[in-house]
Amino acid sequence: MKPLRIALTKGRLEKTTIELFEQIGYNCDEVKNKGRRLILPVGDNEFEVVLAKAADVITYVEHGVCDLGVVGKDTILENGTSFYELLDLGFGKCRFALATKKGYDFYSGYNTKTIATKYPKVTRTFFDDKNMDVRIIKIEGSVELAPLVGLADGIVDIVETGSTLKANGLEVIEWVTDISARLIANTASLKLRKYEIEQLQKKLEAVTK
Amino acid sequence: MKKYLTITPEGTKDFLFAECSAMDDVCGKIEGVFVSRGFKRVITPGIEFYDVFSLPCSGISQEMMYKMTDNKGRLLVARPDSTLPIARMVSSRLKNSLLPVRLYYKQAVYRNNPTLTGRRNEFMQMGVELIGVKGIRADLEVLTTALSSISSVADDYRIELGHAGVFDALSNELDIDDDYKEKIRVSIEGKNYSALNNLLDKLKPCKAVNAIRSLPSLFGGEEVFEKAYEICDGTHALAALEYLHKIYNNLSPLSLGNKLIIDLGFVQRNDYYTGIVFTGYINGIGDAVISGGRYDELLSEFDAPMGAAGFAVDTDAITIKQLADKEVSYSDNPDILVFANDGHEIEAIKLVEKLNGEGKKALFSVLPTLEETKQFAEKRGIAEVRTVG
Repeated sequence: MKPLRIALTKGRLEKTTIELFEQIGYNCDEVKNKGRRLILPVGDNEFEVVLAKAADVITYVEHGVCDLGVVGKDTILENGTSFYELLDLGFGKCRFALATKKGYDFYSGYNTKTIATKYPKVTRTFFDDKNMDVRIIKIEGSVELAPLVGLADGIVDIVETGSTLKANGLEVIEWVTDISARLIANTASLKLRKYEIEQLQKKLEAVTK
Repeated sequence: MKKYLTITPEGTKDFLFAECSAMDDVCGKIEGVFVSRGFKRVITPGIEFYDVFSLPCSGISQEMMYKMTDNKGRLLVARPDSTLPIARMVSSRLKNSLLPVRLYYKQAVYRNNPTLTGRRNEFMQMGVELIGVKGIRADLEVLTTALSSISSVADDYRIELGHAGVFDALSNELDIDDDYKEKIRVSIEGKNYSALNNLLDKLKPCKAVNAIRSLPSLFGGEEVFEKAYEICDGTHALAALEYLHKIYNNLSPLSLGNKLIIDLGFVQRNDYYTGIVFTGYINGIGDAVISGGRYDELLSEFDAPMGAAGFAVDTDAITIKQLADKEVSYSDNPDILVFANDGHEIEAIKLVEKLNGEGKKALFSVLPTLEETKQFAEKRGIAEVRTVG
């Protein structure tokens, strides 16, 4: 039988996930010395790890070419459709927030507000729930710039420490939602390989609590 | 203006040669099962009125439908599903016929998926509907037809069985509005334990809340029932649970082993399901290939209340897997190419028919000269060229 294949989000989430795998007793030397390889065996070939960009982790899992994935809730909210979200892994914690220039009265007046964001879907859902029609502009880089140069009234973005906001004279006026890393599973894989996936899930659950 | 002369719309494709053979093979096997169980084929129109699919229970969002208008300005859609058109058809055309009726369909459906996700926007679906009867015999008939269908095209498969009544009964015991109920349903469907716990923690603790909390983890073999009876004890979900257990026991002579999974966290978006619900998975395909269940309320929406159950098979997904497996060869190369000298064409065509009748694979050469025929045979890898006249 093929080993379980797990897609990890490259970068910080990958490192913490590997630490977790080591804690539950898997040998991850191959992943640590990966060089340029993108598919790597873990433990005694018990499963293999695929390294991908966050949104691609979801794509690989949805299409079933990877059985499991580790990805941030931010990416799930923005890109996710159909898979199982099995476990909150508890690391990679941050929050989505609505921020404006310090002292700006965002909710006053009847004019349609403009929001700059890297996360148009999260933004749309947030304001839909408030029955508020906003104009959304997708920005690829530093979103903080948009209100400063007058492109937008506010931004919806990930906030960890808030120091970037502070340095640019912005402030959080509302928290949108909490974010952390999640373990996701392909729907068919969970049915076809229930035992293996459950075992791994239980072990991870034990060390993340 | 740019013209799109050489590409097909996103999510659609041409099927060529071996792809068609593989599709015919898969559909043929499943059709064989349907026909042997006494289901009769129906075909519904490729376009329908939007109203047929806009019922609140249809489970198909309007973003997913291809829309157009007729010459009176009425909204039409390219059929996104076959069950609703069949419900429409039965409620009008078959209203007064002898029930139950067994129908099957084999037709493409159209869904306008988000772009660049690699999903198919046009795909072939086969399925059965057993309409006009309720009860365990009908459920077993539909379930075993699904089992025979999936086992006719795959060895390594799973059928997952649940009951819409379990979640319905439990959630009705809670004092919550429909939006909140839907949020809970979505988190169970996604086995999203953390979201589910957040939602349930806000409610007053009671038996139903505890039971719902356990639903997503209640899947597996027969051991699920033991746990489920314990947590559903004293709730209204017990009746659905006992019925599901009865179905499970009834299927035991088929010795399905771990091929049959119970999943009580199986709460589908199509909320027309009222009784048993099931999905089928094949190893190597990342999505469900069969989905179905009992939908006793749906026909009431068309003013013809009667019991009904059925399922649909995603035959395209199975076809794609079959082609990738390469276990079966769909080569159609002929063995003999027959060339006719001037004036002997009909004679040669008759010879081709005769050879094919004898089980050989012969082909009449339509090229003008023997030389070109020989070259073609060599390139195509046809062993023999025969000349007539």
